[in-house]
Amino acid sequence: MIPATRPPVADRPPEARGRARDQVRLLVSTDADDRHAEFRDLPDLLAPGDLLVVNDSATLAAALPAEAALGPFRLHLSTRYAPCLWLAEPRWSVERPGPLPLAAGEGIHVGRRERIRARIVAPHPQLPRLTFVATERPLDPTLAADGEPIRYRYLARPQPLDAYQTVFARTPGSAEMPSAARPFSAATVTALRAAGIELASLTLHTGVSSLEAGDAPVLYAEPFRVERATADAIARTRARGGRVIAVGTTVVRALETAFRDGAVRPSRGFTRRFVRPGQVHGAADGMITGFHEAASTHQALLAAVVGPEVVHRAYRTALATGYLWHEFGDSHLLLRRHGSSLA
Amino acid sequence: MSADRMPSSPAPRAVVTGASRGHGLALARFLAGAGYEVVVTARDSAALALARAEIAAVGRVSAVPGDVGDPAHRAALVERVGDRLDLLVHNASELGPSPLPALATADAAAFRAVLETNLVAPLALTQALLPALRRAGGLIAAVSSDAAQGAYPGWGLYGASKAALELLARTLAAEIGDVATVIVDPGDMRTPMHQLAFPGEDIGDRPLPEVTLPFWAWLIGQSRTAVTGGRFEAQADDWTLPVDTVAS
Repeated sequence: MIPATRPPVADRPPEARGRARDQVRLLVSTDADDRHAEFRDLPDLLAPGDLLVVNDSATLAAALPAEAALGPFRLHLSTRYAPCLWLAEPRWSVERPGPLPLAAGEGIHVGRRERIRARIVAPHPQLPRLTFVATERPLDPTLAADGEPIRYRYLARPQPLDAYQTVFARTPGSAEMPSAARPFSAATVTALRAAGIELASLTLHTGVSSLEAGDAPVLYAEPFRVERATADAIARTRARGGRVIAVGTTVVRALETAFRDGAVRPSRGFTRRFVRPGQVHGAADGMITGFHEAASTHQALLAAVVGPEVVHRAYRTALATGYLWHEFGDSHLLLRRHGSSLA
Repeated sequence: MSADRMPSSPAPRAVVTGASRGHGLALARFLAGAGYEVVVTARDSAALALARAEIAAVGRVSAVPGDVGDPAHRAALVERVGDRLDLLVHNASELGPSPLPALATADAAAFRAVLETNLVAPLALTQALLPALRRAGGLIAAVSSDAAQGAYPGWGLYGASKAALELLARTLAAEIGDVATVIVDPGDMRTPMHQLAFPGEDIGDRPLPEVTLPFWAWLIGQSRTAVTGGRFEAQADDWTLPVDTVAS
């Protein structure tokens, strides 16, 4: 789907490259063409009456030191199922993924300054590198004392947790930053509102992505919540002929999951919905996202929203013109032709 | 009320019927690992003893062999459970004759046996354990099947029993406020019972029963008032609740 060229990767945030968050490049892709802009131009690229739906999930310092009979290891928390029941990824280190030889029923300790007893429960049935872990008490003190943001090899150096929070971050719970909204600044938000563009939020807590080479992309359930105020804002936008722009794949998945009987409904739960062409309600008319691996799930979702032709052409353009990949990289606005529907 | 009580506070307690193999065993083992004291029951005492040993490797478990249709066995379960019960899973199921019979020639005695195990016994066990469930603000999960809703040829006896079980569960949810009741459709799985439904066929394309564990992990973490009366498909792409009924 994507040429075999290795894309340029953002190995640090734009602030460390001498630019503000909202000064990353923005590729604007419609069925007509691809145009080059800067993220802070966003208010001029949308129309009054459009609605941006953002994810207000805040990023956890989800990488924790842990210890078992086999020695020290790292535990990347992925998803909280209950106050003391997590899905997590045991790793040898940042560089070395699992699996680790941990047996169901085995006792471990999580944290260093705040050590909490825990137990391996069972591997995730579809993704055995992830395991359920039951803890003796909630992990919040350990997260505060010992946690670091989850990071991967392509980063030049560790970044503080603040670098992983978007301006909309309000509800802690994501293992990895919902990064599509990272380029938004307070000034961008003010300019958007002044331009008559509405904003609404929902919550979807991302799990660990960490697709290592050779992993088949597997979707597993993540918690989401769509409040009535957001469902109402979407209905109002539709009624006035505005567009609903999802900021991030997380938002598209939450909206598609919450879509019932022709509209987005207030709802909450866990979703692992694979949004792909032919399997989409059309809850979003466009989206803002970053540039990510050719993982079939990511590109399939983009294709479901704006059509595969736009996505193919946009990725060729992005590679040819040096857009930066990954969570600290450049941004991409994809818009479906107004009034068209792929649903 | 869920896995938020590990050793420091009293462990939550669960009863799983039909726990000697297949889905019941996978679920009981998961609950034990997640910190529940699990009471398992099944008719085949030898198989149940093996299951108990397997579960004991990950957590606390006790086994009470017997037939849930037998009042003496129910009394033994009540005795073993004690004063509080957080989770009751009606997992034991009788498929009926194998190969599955068409209704035109289905045997009345076989139908009665299916109804006894899938419908009459779960209600009797619910009644027996209700005081303990009430004290814990517990959750009853009735394991059902898509055969309760689809009119699949051959599945009439079993499907009718599960459709009626679902109605019992929804009625319990409507009648009882302090104990939650949900219906769980685990979906197709590679289990001994599924093999009985398709004798001689290769069911290796069905997932192992552990496929339902993320769902159960989610369910035990939900507030009882949010889920009661609901019907959930464990293998669905989402488990969704309306927001307006939920205190956040």
